[in-house]
Amino acid sequence: MTAALRRHGWSYLFVLPTFSLFVVFTLLPVAQGLVLSLQDARVTGGSFIGLANFGTLADDPVFRQALGNTVLYATVVVAAQVTLALIVASLIQPLGTKSRVFYRALFYLPLVNSAILVAIVWRWIFNPNPFGLANATLGVFGVGPFLWIGSSDQALLAVILSAVLTIPGGGVVLYSAAMGSLPRELYEAADLEGAGPFAKWRHITVPLLRPTTLYLVVVYTILAFQVFERVYIMTNGGGPNNATITIVQLIYSTAFQFGRYGLASAMAVVLFLMAMVVAVVQFRSLRTDVEY
Amino acid sequence: MSSDPTISRRRFLESLAAVGVVVACGPTAAPAPSASSSASAPVATAKPVSIEWWRRNYTPGSQNAETITSDAAVKGWKERNPNFTITIQGGPFGPETDQKFDIAILQQKAGPDVFHTTGGDVLKYAAAGQLSEPPLTDAERRDFNPSALQATTYKGKVVAYPLWIVPWFEYINVDLFKEAGVTPPKDGNWTYDEFLAAAKKLTFKRANGKQAYGFAHANDEFAFMLIDGGRPYDKDVKTWTFNSAEAVSGLEKWVALAQAKVMPPDFLTLNPNDSQARFLSGDIAILQRPSAMINVLNADKNWEFGKNWDIANFPKAKGDQTAWGGVGFIAVREQQDADKKAAAHQFAKYLTGPDIGPDLKKQTPPVEYWLAPAGRTSAAGIYGDYHPAKAKVAKMGAFTYVLPNVSTWSEIDQKYMRPARDAALEGKKTPKQALDEVTPAAQRLLDEANR
Repeated sequence: MTAALRRHGWSYLFVLPTFSLFVVFTLLPVAQGLVLSLQDARVTGGSFIGLANFGTLADDPVFRQALGNTVLYATVVVAAQVTLALIVASLIQPLGTKSRVFYRALFYLPLVNSAILVAIVWRWIFNPNPFGLANATLGVFGVGPFLWIGSSDQALLAVILSAVLTIPGGGVVLYSAAMGSLPRELYEAADLEGAGPFAKWRHITVPLLRPTTLYLVVVYTILAFQVFERVYIMTNGGGPNNATITIVQLIYSTAFQFGRYGLASAMAVVLFLMAMVVAVVQFRSLRTDVEY
Repeated sequence: MSSDPTISRRRFLESLAAVGVVVACGPTAAPAPSASSSASAPVATAKPVSIEWWRRNYTPGSQNAETITSDAAVKGWKERNPNFTITIQGGPFGPETDQKFDIAILQQKAGPDVFHTTGGDVLKYAAAGQLSEPPLTDAERRDFNPSALQATTYKGKVVAYPLWIVPWFEYINVDLFKEAGVTPPKDGNWTYDEFLAAAKKLTFKRANGKQAYGFAHANDEFAFMLIDGGRPYDKDVKTWTFNSAEAVSGLEKWVALAQAKVMPPDFLTLNPNDSQARFLSGDIAILQRPSAMINVLNADKNWEFGKNWDIANFPKAKGDQTAWGGVGFIAVREQQDADKKAAAHQFAKYLTGPDIGPDLKKQTPPVEYWLAPAGRTSAAGIYGDYHPAKAKVAKMGAFTYVLPNVSTWSEIDQKYMRPARDAALEGKKTPKQALDEVTPAAQRLLDEANR
């Protein structure tokens, strides 16, 4: 036992409660999920079947559709939300302190709304009838009506739009806070060089925000991979012809409606691996050594 | 001694946990089905006995139909059998409660003595040896609706008591029919062609710009595929037949409604609550819903039966008159305690039998026990006494097609049939192509259910 351990070992006692909760409520369920994915698990029990569940998934057209929908949703929504958060934060940054705080709060407040309520509102907005808000609004300009969630061609677009058009308040707050801590001397130097506002934003602000961007991209990607309530509420859990079915939606129905816990766990493992691989790629491509 | 049948959600969970602990500490083997169960069950129990009844959507203190009728049923039973104590445990409709049932009954081999169940649950619990066979006399067997009895038959044995048959039929907005100059079907009978013609006339835009639609359904059943004689399975429930010429022809008739645009544009995602709301707001002339909507309309003073709304049968085509329907069951859990099991069977017979309706009607205030037509002839009459609309519905049990119990039906339905139907209704596939494509997967799941 090293001297450091002898001297500070007792401090691990303080970590123990949190660590125990983490093990019981996070680590063990994940491990249990991995074990279940290798079993033909039903509520009555299950037997070990190796990787057969993963073979079943590879042959399942509904799972492939869910996979494709999830990837498409995540790609578009993450790109749009990060960009939108950056733009909104950049627009409120030059304002006075009080105005900045006001707008940060304004953009963040909607996050306290129940996701279910938000999804119900979006279901009404994209209702295919003329009284749906999107159709009613577009109708004023002589456009539409569109079928939106009532059509297998447009339902996923409507779900994606509902996510894209919701300003990501958390991202705005994080970007705004990060912008406040960027070194002023770089902007002063750029001013001396005659750089305009856009050039400063493009060549100073955006590059220096890469750590925040990395964090947001990783977090938003994981959240997008886990999309569920929006699909469940807006399109009755999959939409016409399974047009909006996502992996988590399929995990839910496979486990709790079809009683195939092993297969559902295998889907969860695939989702976990996807999130992990994407996060690693994002870390590698967006990481920076710049410190300020 | 009076019992308090109410139980809180917390007590429900506590008792589940307690059951788990007891089972974990006790013998691990499942109680073997008793060979004498049939003989011992109907014997009247003189000594006090306490049983648990698990009822979905039972919420102590609430005014929902399940709670009111369950409390009244226990009261009615106790007046006849003072020695019985019945505790009701509830849980909301949905997967959360389904899972609690599964864990208690299938994993812990404990839980309710008697319980409500539906569809594939009956087969699931029967296959696990957890259902006690109802001791039915020949007269009682003859009294039950044959299709309901078949739906609760597992490997040649009846494993639960059919409670009621819930038919889907057409609700008619009489005011909208008058507005469009359409005569409602005489005696509620119409052919598919008459139905389609009416739906077309009933689809119109009013002077104020408000659109009315001829027909809507809540996207939760396949009634049209029965219309020409199509059925999901063969008689032995071994072969998937929902791609037969009759089923394809039925789907074509459904597709014709979509092509004629007599349904609202969100018909593929219309859920039950929304569809009812649209009917109540006067946007839908004909709505296909189950019998439970009668009480919704009766609760609204703007809707007077016979004046503002009426009931019609599902349209008839090449096949015999049909209606799509579901069945509710009362099951008794297999267990070693012979007294409890016998008491549970007696109570289950009461819950599904002819006495409970009149008993509850005599209570103050009177309670309508039957939320749908009873599954047996001797108990069916009183449903029609409740309301003239229900009198019409009471006759529908005779031709209601009850989906045979197949434990994998929800997967066949949600994962394969609904997308196939949507593809046909959207015109992306022909009905035959759509139904042929899902047949291998449906047959595979049917085979799995039969193993």
